[in-house]
Amino acid sequence: MTKVEYWVKIPFGPIHPGLEEPEKFILTLDGERIVDVDVKLGYNLRGIQWIAMRRNYIQIMYLAERICGICSFSHNHTYTRAVEEAAGIEVPERAEYIRVIIGELERIHSHLLNLGVLAHDIGYDTVLHLTWLAREKVMDTLEAVAGNRVNYSMVTIGGVRRDIDEKRRRIILDMIKYYKEVFPQIEDIFLHDPTIEARFRDCAVISRRVAMEQGAVGPTGRGSGIRDDARWSEKLGVYPDLGIKPVMPQDVTGERPRGDVFDRMAVRIGELWQSLELIEHALDQMPDGKIKAFPKDNVLFAKLRLLVDGEGIGRYEAPRGELVHYVRGKKGSDKPLRWKPREPTFPNLFAVAEGVKGDQVADFVVAVASIDPCLSCTDRVAVVEDGKKRVLTEKDLLKASIKKTREINPAIKGDPTPVGFGCSR
Amino acid sequence: MNDNPVNEANEVKEPTKAQKVAETIAEHFPNAQVEVRVNKWGRERVWVRIPREDYKALMRFIKELDGEAHYSIGIEQDLGEELGFLSHLAIHYDDAPAVSLIVDVRVPKDDPVIPDISDVFPIATQYEREAAEMVGIVFEGIPDRRRLFLPDDFPEGIYPLRLDDKGIPEEMVHNAGHPYLIKKGGKRA
Repeated sequence: MTKVEYWVKIPFGPIHPGLEEPEKFILTLDGERIVDVDVKLGYNLRGIQWIAMRRNYIQIMYLAERICGICSFSHNHTYTRAVEEAAGIEVPERAEYIRVIIGELERIHSHLLNLGVLAHDIGYDTVLHLTWLAREKVMDTLEAVAGNRVNYSMVTIGGVRRDIDEKRRRIILDMIKYYKEVFPQIEDIFLHDPTIEARFRDCAVISRRVAMEQGAVGPTGRGSGIRDDARWSEKLGVYPDLGIKPVMPQDVTGERPRGDVFDRMAVRIGELWQSLELIEHALDQMPDGKIKAFPKDNVLFAKLRLLVDGEGIGRYEAPRGELVHYVRGKKGSDKPLRWKPREPTFPNLFAVAEGVKGDQVADFVVAVASIDPCLSCTDRVAVVEDGKKRVLTEKDLLKASIKKTREINPAIKGDPTPVGFGCSR
Repeated sequence: MNDNPVNEANEVKEPTKAQKVAETIAEHFPNAQVEVRVNKWGRERVWVRIPREDYKALMRFIKELDGEAHYSIGIEQDLGEELGFLSHLAIHYDDAPAVSLIVDVRVPKDDPVIPDISDVFPIATQYEREAAEMVGIVFEGIPDRRRLFLPDDFPEGIYPLRLDDKGIPEEMVHNAGHPYLIKKGGKRA
């Protein structure tokens, strides 16, 4: 009897219980083994660059912040850097230190979030609860310092908006004390637990060559042995004074990097400690002085019109890797002619798609989670009806849902008109 | 810091890594316009404008210069008369600061063909796919011609980020613009 072998193509996503965000992978499977991965993006295309074509420099700051909820500071910060470079604006030193502090607070919250997600994806929910409980402390600190748990709006072109005074400084020091007790527990679980090691070791290996070819950045690149960190290689702001250096897996695990999920996670653990250290140093060394180059936004608006002439590149190490923003402006115009951001997830996604080839399909969810993918919510649904494709907007879905509710319970009372703005009008 | 201002003025400055890279590129590619720009906080970037005939050769040369060159972003843009494709590369990043290199290639709108560089930097394919759908640059020899972000039923011949009449027409725009303007009908941007 001859053995029949065949390959199966299955769609994985865009909506899948294992993935938090809409992204679609088409997996070609040979039994349980992944042969090929095709990435389909665009379920989350909100047309932000198109919207930006009709916004001015200051309005884009708010738009950039809303690209992503988790790394909102990074986007705003990098965009600001690009505009500052194009306009030649110098930032006061105190503002640079405050940027470091907020950026590192954000990194702690993002890394703790990802560690929790990784644990959840292998079904280790006790660890998820532990890390996310620890994460609450940094979220509360961010709220106390910046006023918001996400979208902190701390950065403005030419400085920062809010100062860190004695009261806020005490709150941050309090947080550092708390984490010095909690991080050893987290580190112990993630680095020494046999369950985690069994699932994460040699899973979704991205070799150094693949990482280099696909341009992997951040913990994904460093986990594969690429020694680069945009904060360090860019000599960004006051980071060199604070003693920044790339955290490699060998600094944490003591073994050479293998490029698997475990190494990526180990880099994040190392960066948690590094961030705490950076915040401590920044609080110590922070000089007095002003925090903004221009006191008011209307002054800034008028100045940018005259100052921006040419191009600027902003590079920053977001929690997920190197983030690049490009801004091109012209003298006399109050809006940029071109603004383009590039998310670190973009190259990492293609790197991990190469990396999972040959692995088991069961490892796929954890492999994708290990790069900490960052896409967000989708805006419309396509329905195929009688072989014809029809796109349903939020309004249609709402109508359908009201119709269904009335069918089930004709006696229902209440006004189904939506409150406030929806996506569609 | 040097306390003596006389010494500082007389000091013979070693060329930095960025200047060395700029010199090497200018030597090998006489057609390229190479410029080192320094921003306010002292970060140097090498900006290279290259005609499209030399574009691929330059990318190969960069790969030879540093085998570990990191291709970080491809930026497509509409420059009015021309279409531009700008790439940012980080090279020599084994010690800080790395050299930040920007390669700019521009093509006329009636013949928007740029050679594909995905055999040199494989990740460039994805940026090129994005550039092709967003402003309509044609990449010669690109291994993957499918769309990346736009849905499959998006009309052909419309490029969302074009500023001319090939951009998104007024009829396609629904509920866009500032929330205050949406109240008034939302057409005006």
